[in-house]
Amino acid sequence: MNKMPTANGYFGIYGGKFVPETLVNALGELEKAYNAFRKDRAMRIELKSFLSHYAGRPTPLYYAANLSHKCGIEIFLKREDLLHTGAHKLNNTLGQGLLARFMGKKRLIAETGAGQHGVATATVAALLGMKCTVYMGNVDMKRQAPNVARMRLLGAEVVPVESGSGTLKDAINAALRDWVKNVRHTHYCIGSVVGPHPFPMIVRNFQSIIGKEARSQMYTQVGKNPDFVVGCVGGGSNAVGIFSAFLRLPKTKLIGVEAGGFGTKPGQHSARFAMGRRGILHGCITYVLQNKDCQILPVHSISAGLDYPAVGPEHAFFHDEQIVEYVRCSDSEALRGCLALSKFEGIIPALESSHAVGYVLSNRKRFKGCVVLVNLSGRGDKDMDIIAREAKL
Amino acid sequence: MKGYNGLYLMGNYPTPKVFIDAARLGMEYFDFLEIGIPFSDPIADGPVIERAAMKVIADGHRVADIFKSIEKISCPSSKKIYVMTYANHIFARGNGTFARMMKSAGTSGIILPDVPSAESDRFKKEFAPFGIELIHFITPENTYEQIESIASSASGFLYCISIRGITGSRFSLESEMRKKIAHAKKFSRVPVVLGFGIRDGVTAAIALRVADGFIVGTRAIEILETGGVGKLSQFFEELAKHCM
Ligand SMILES: Cc1ncc(COP(=O)(O)O)c(C=O)c1O
Repeated sequence: MNKMPTANGYFGIYGGKFVPETLVNALGELEKAYNAFRKDRAMRIELKSFLSHYAGRPTPLYYAANLSHKCGIEIFLKREDLLHTGAHKLNNTLGQGLLARFMGKKRLIAETGAGQHGVATATVAALLGMKCTVYMGNVDMKRQAPNVARMRLLGAEVVPVESGSGTLKDAINAALRDWVKNVRHTHYCIGSVVGPHPFPMIVRNFQSIIGKEARSQMYTQVGKNPDFVVGCVGGGSNAVGIFSAFLRLPKTKLIGVEAGGFGTKPGQHSARFAMGRRGILHGCITYVLQNKDCQILPVHSISAGLDYPAVGPEHAFFHDEQIVEYVRCSDSEALRGCLALSKFEGIIPALESSHAVGYVLSNRKRFKGCVVLVNLSGRGDKDMDIIAREAKL
Repeated sequence: MKGYNGLYLMGNYPTPKVFIDAARLGMEYFDFLEIGIPFSDPIADGPVIERAAMKVIADGHRVADIFKSIEKISCPSSKKIYVMTYANHIFARGNGTFARMMKSAGTSGIILPDVPSAESDRFKKEFAPFGIELIHFITPENTYEQIESIASSASGFLYCISIRGITGSRFSLESEMRKKIAHAKKFSRVPVVLGFGIRDGVTAAIALRVADGFIVGTRAIEILETGGVGKLSQFFEELAKHCM
């Protein structure tokens, strides 16, 4: 099914390996090891076993009856928020953690924005007995403090990154620098479908379980494919994960939701497709928010996990080919989505996932009478401070 | 100084005037200059050069402004000036725009630390019509076969990154790397120049024993920050003394 990316790591004109020469052979070794890992029966069984008995897969597909009746839309939620550690990120870190061990690496490093990927990496490091260092922007450390404590409890070292904007992109810079120094014994467990090849491919494949499950659950519960599949897009891993099972179906429309923030000026949003243009950041060609002088722009989102100036190269390809439609959801629409789901369904979503919910609720007319599958990528515990403040609880 | 040595400076840092003065002084001691064009996300740079880049951007200097300064140092001199920057500046501008700016500023080559040889073709094609050389790298991670192919097609000079690390890292030279440098020298038609971690006369002299030259960067920026062009000149004298 997935002929993408090409052998050189390209999705159409997007992707590639724009990294220091020092990392090129490591990326080659990673790809080779990954191909062996995929074919290794014992590894497949071990990953599958961890995914079900440790992480809690399959996650439920839940028909949100109350919300559906209120809006006149048939809303189904893929409950990645119920996965161990509270977000879809664990699908990827379990895979990459086992892959790292398969390669004989003793140390995992990761970047994190919302802290969910950091927690998921620290969790797997604890599980597999590996060392773990997580880079996190100092701004994000403040707004996602509970996750910082969780990572430390799990035995990871959390390194604050103060350069640049102190958010996700700077954490990736720091992780890449660490990897250049320690490439011999360290695996960089990247948290989304971003970075140089083969990462966008590996992370997509580990996350594709979301889509596989959701498609068969839709069949069992509804007997047909959804009319729409909606996911929020930070780097794009949860979205690609669920989209991967619904690509190019004539009757199913795929919608990726970017963070619209609070305005359209630079620094007020993270809408790469709406406001960005082609560039190279963190190892790949993709859509990037940058100024006229080709410097990367500051970005904003109420959710730390969507606060990123670039996007996975496969999404850039999907965008140009019109395989996926990319839309925006503002901070306040996302917050309204979060409140509605909490109040009517008793589910507190992560602010990232709230963008997918918020977009659907803010555009009810468009979805009237349709079956809409929303990827609920994570739960909102980590965001309680922000939600309480913004919603004046 | 003995060898084929380069000085790295960040364009327009700390100010255009001090940068130009430092660059002119550097021309008297070094065989080429490497001028950094700041990028907001410099993944191959350590904290010193990153901070310098951020200041230049924050001070409002655009890429075109930095090329104007470079033009002032390139005119009277016959020494080569290389530009070091990141792929986005070239790719996002497209259409040879960056190469054209380089050409009219009198620079002769480009160093792109986030473009490995496997991705270099599109950049070579973009720069070739302007006669601008794309500098190749070798690192401790490269195999002997890779070094052979990278070195034999190198032009300008061959940039040898002696350590696994970023700019400003501590100097070291594994015995394996010494062998790899010797291997590169066998196949390269241009000087093999060692960079990353050279910060005083001692490390520079070591570099000259294994390679054809060295590049000093982070230490020069630090000295320029604290002591200005005056202290920088003392630093160059010290390097020269160790490298006679
Ligand atoms: C719950 C949740 N959803 C979504 C994201 C965004 O990442 P991606 O676009 O890779 O799914 C994050 C990132 O931290 C997250 O924590």
